Order: sequence, then C-alpha cells, then structure tokens
Amino acid sequence: MADGEVVLKVENLHKSYADIKVLNGVSFEIDRGQIKVICGPSGSGKSTLLRCLNLLTYPDKGRVWLEEQEITGQISDVNKVRQKIGFVFQEFNLFNHLTALKNVSIALEIVKKMKKEEARDLALKELRKVNLGEDAHKYPAELSGGQKQRVAIARALAMNPVIMFYDEPTSALDPHLIGEVLDVMKKLAQEKLTSIVVTHEIGFARSVADEIMFMGGGTILERGRPDELISNAKHEMVRQFFRRMNELYRREGE
Amino acid sequence: MATLAEFLPYILSGTVWTLGLVGGGLAIGFIIGLLMAVGQVYGSEEIKGFVHAYVWFFRSLPLLVLLFLFYWGVFPATGYKLDPLACSIVVLGLRSGAYQSQIFRGAIISLGGTQLLAARALGISEPKAVFHIVLPQALRISMPGWSNEYAIMIKDSAITFALGVLEILTRTRYVVMATHEPLIPYFFAGGLFIVLTYSGTKIVNVVYERTKIPGLVGRM
Repeated sequence: MADGEVVLKVENLHKSYADIKVLNGVSFEIDRGQIKVICGPSGSGKSTLLRCLNLLTYPDKGRVWLEEQEITGQISDVNKVRQKIGFVFQEFNLFNHLTALKNVSIALEIVKKMKKEEARDLALKELRKVNLGEDAHKYPAELSGGQKQRVAIARALAMNPVIMFYDEPTSALDPHLIGEVLDVMKKLAQEKLTSIVVTHEIGFARSVADEIMFMGGGTILERGRPDELISNAKHEMVRQFFRRMNELYRREGE
Repeated sequence: MATLAEFLPYILSGTVWTLGLVGGGLAIGFIIGLLMAVGQVYGSEEIKGFVHAYVWFFRSLPLLVLLFLFYWGVFPATGYKLDPLACSIVVLGLRSGAYQSQIFRGAIISLGGTQLLAARALGISEPKAVFHIVLPQALRISMPGWSNEYAIMIKDSAITFALGVLEILTRTRYVVMATHEPLIPYFFAGGLFIVLTYSGTKIVNVVYERTKIPGLVGRM
C-alpha cells in the first residue's frame, strides 16, 4: 500500500467505431488510493475509455497496465482482469430476476467459487456498507433508483476490486436520489479505494477528487486539481463547461 | 350402441400416445430451440446462417410432408429404421425446435444487453452469464408463447395418424370403421383434445404466475 504505487497505467489509447475516432491518444496513470474524475461533453469518449480499460471493448491501439501487468495485447484471461475492476453503470444494470442479495453474491459463487453461505454473508456485509442491509431480499423492481445504484456498487465491491470505475453513476437518477449514491461514493473515496469516476457532479469532484481530467475530442484536453481546473482552466471550452456546471450546481454551494 | 361404449376406453387410451408425442416433441424442440436461439443471438455468422436455414426449412414445409420425407426418405436413406412413433416424435421435435427457437430468441433480444454487460464486467464468462442471467429471465418471458406452442403441438400430433401412430385420432378412425358410427367417436376425440389443450395451457399459466418476478409488471 505504499504511496505512489501505480494501479493503472494507460498509454496512448486509440479507439474508432467505423470511421469515427472516439479515443485519439489518451494517456494517464492512477496511483493507489487516488480518485480521478473524468468530465467532458457527451461524445467525448468518456464511457468508451472506461470500457477499453476493462476490455469490454478492445482498444485499437495503445497499452494498458493493471498493477504492472499489461492487459492489452496477448492477454491470458480477460475475465481475471475484469474481476479486479469494479464497474458501476449509469443504468445500474442489475440482474432483474435476482434479489439484491443474490445480485451481489452470484459472481462470488460462480466466479470466485465461494460456498453459498460464505457468498451470502459477504454479500450481506457489502449491502450493509451501502446502507441496504434491510432491503437485501428485495428485487430490483422493488427498489428506487438510488437503492439500485447502491446495490450495483455493493455488487462491484464484493469482488474486492483493486480499482473502481463509475460511468456517470448518478445521471439516471432523480435529483433527490443522487445524494444517497454520492454519499456512498464519498465514503469509499475516504477509505482510499482507487477510483475513476465519470461524472458531472462538480461538488463531488471538488470534495474527493485528486485530479479532474477533462476530455474533449477523444483526448484529455486539460487536467489538474479540482479547484484549479474548475475556476482557472486554460482552454476556453473547459472554462465554459465548468461555468455552466457551476451555474447548474450552485444550489449545492460546496 | 353398446359396442361403441366398449370402444371409447380404447380411444381414451390413445391419450397416452398423444401425450407421448407431444411431450417428446416439445422436449426435443425445447433443447434444439434453446440452443439455436442462443446461437442465433450470440453465435458466429456461420451459426446464425445455419439456424436461419434450419428455421426457414422446418417452417416452410407442411408437417405431413416432413413426416413422409423423414419416415420414407431421410431415415431409410441414412440407414436408420425408426418405427412410426419414434419417427413422429423426432419430426415433431425438429419442427417444434424451429418454432421454439424464435420464441426464445425474441425473449432474449427483449432483455437487451445491459445485464449481460454487467455480468461480463464482473468477470463472469459469456456462456456462464447467458446461463445464469439471460436464460432464467428469457425462459420466463417465453412462457406465454411457449404455451401457445404446446396447444399447437397437441393439435398437430393428430396428423401422425398418417403413419399409423396409435394416438387419439388413429384409434378413433378404427372405431368409426368398425362401428360405422362417426358422430360420437369424433365428438369424443374432439373432447379429449379440448381437455388436453386447456389443461396444459392452464398449467403453463400457473407456472408463469408462480415464477413472477416481484415488482416487475407487464410483459415480465
């Protein structure tokens, strides 16, 4: 757990769909315990970047290392790589036929080969961590959006990932449900769980992010500490973006 | 008329044969249908092409033509001599597989890819994700369509009289020939088909209700 230990290293990542360049040379690295927030207009490649990093899509060019092991190129086991990366989706993507508890425990059983009891206990522990101990036996359709997203976070945490990816985790939520999800994410950030968060929640970025990376046109246009970037960006486009966001989120006053 | 009353149990016992045809055909069709649906949604272009051709073939030919083709043609030509019952079950199954594959395929597609994506992000391999996440839900969504397939199969099974399989219709025809009394035997046979169709679809509906996922409404 030494400080400065690199968990994920990304070098010159490229990805195109048909003839549209979505990623056009992205490089960065993230140390253990760091929280990086990715911002940027829609279509700037944020989601594609995350999906290339856990190999849900394969990058066309560039290299990625997870804990010093290169995962691009000739990779032995994609599923092993993905187990180490917690992924939280915008639309939760819970398994609709399973209870909250089973949503969390199923991968423990069929991927980590845990015994049913053991998986159940761990799942319950993770659900309590996101304040859903009481709702463990409810099905996704019986939960609110905020609860669903917290189940999704618990599901990812249960795998004991070395890094978490959040892909706009609050964008599909009603405004009054965003807080409960951000609270859980802040708690995890304070526990130094290495995370990359794609979000436009400026308040969240300000309070927990070590760095904001602003994406535009498939590259990182500008990056820096939250307070610097939000108020003093060099690029006009970045400045405008944060000005608009600040107006939008002024109510938070953080 | 006394003789007719003696013959009715003979017709009734054809129910066992009819249920054997339907049960066997549906079971074979279920396995084929499920495999082909998964192949058609997740498989390579070659697999998709094969399934497409298979479905097209078995849905294009009349059942009677299929029965004759396999009983007189395909099986003898390939060195197998299946008896009429076995041949009928196989043909009903092959054909039902084509129809069932489209029921399952529609259900799988209606689920969308998001849950599968989440499963893969957890490190679950695609086959395991399909088995544990997609199929349980797809099968439930398929039930109304599947109960329809059952009802069709019950009625289609009667056509195997053409190969002399001793199901309800074949026996009814024997009775009619022996007694020269068509009305009551055919009504009796019709009644049996109604009971079989109704009770079977009823059972599937009960299972459908019992397996309802709490909170989900509508088609799920």
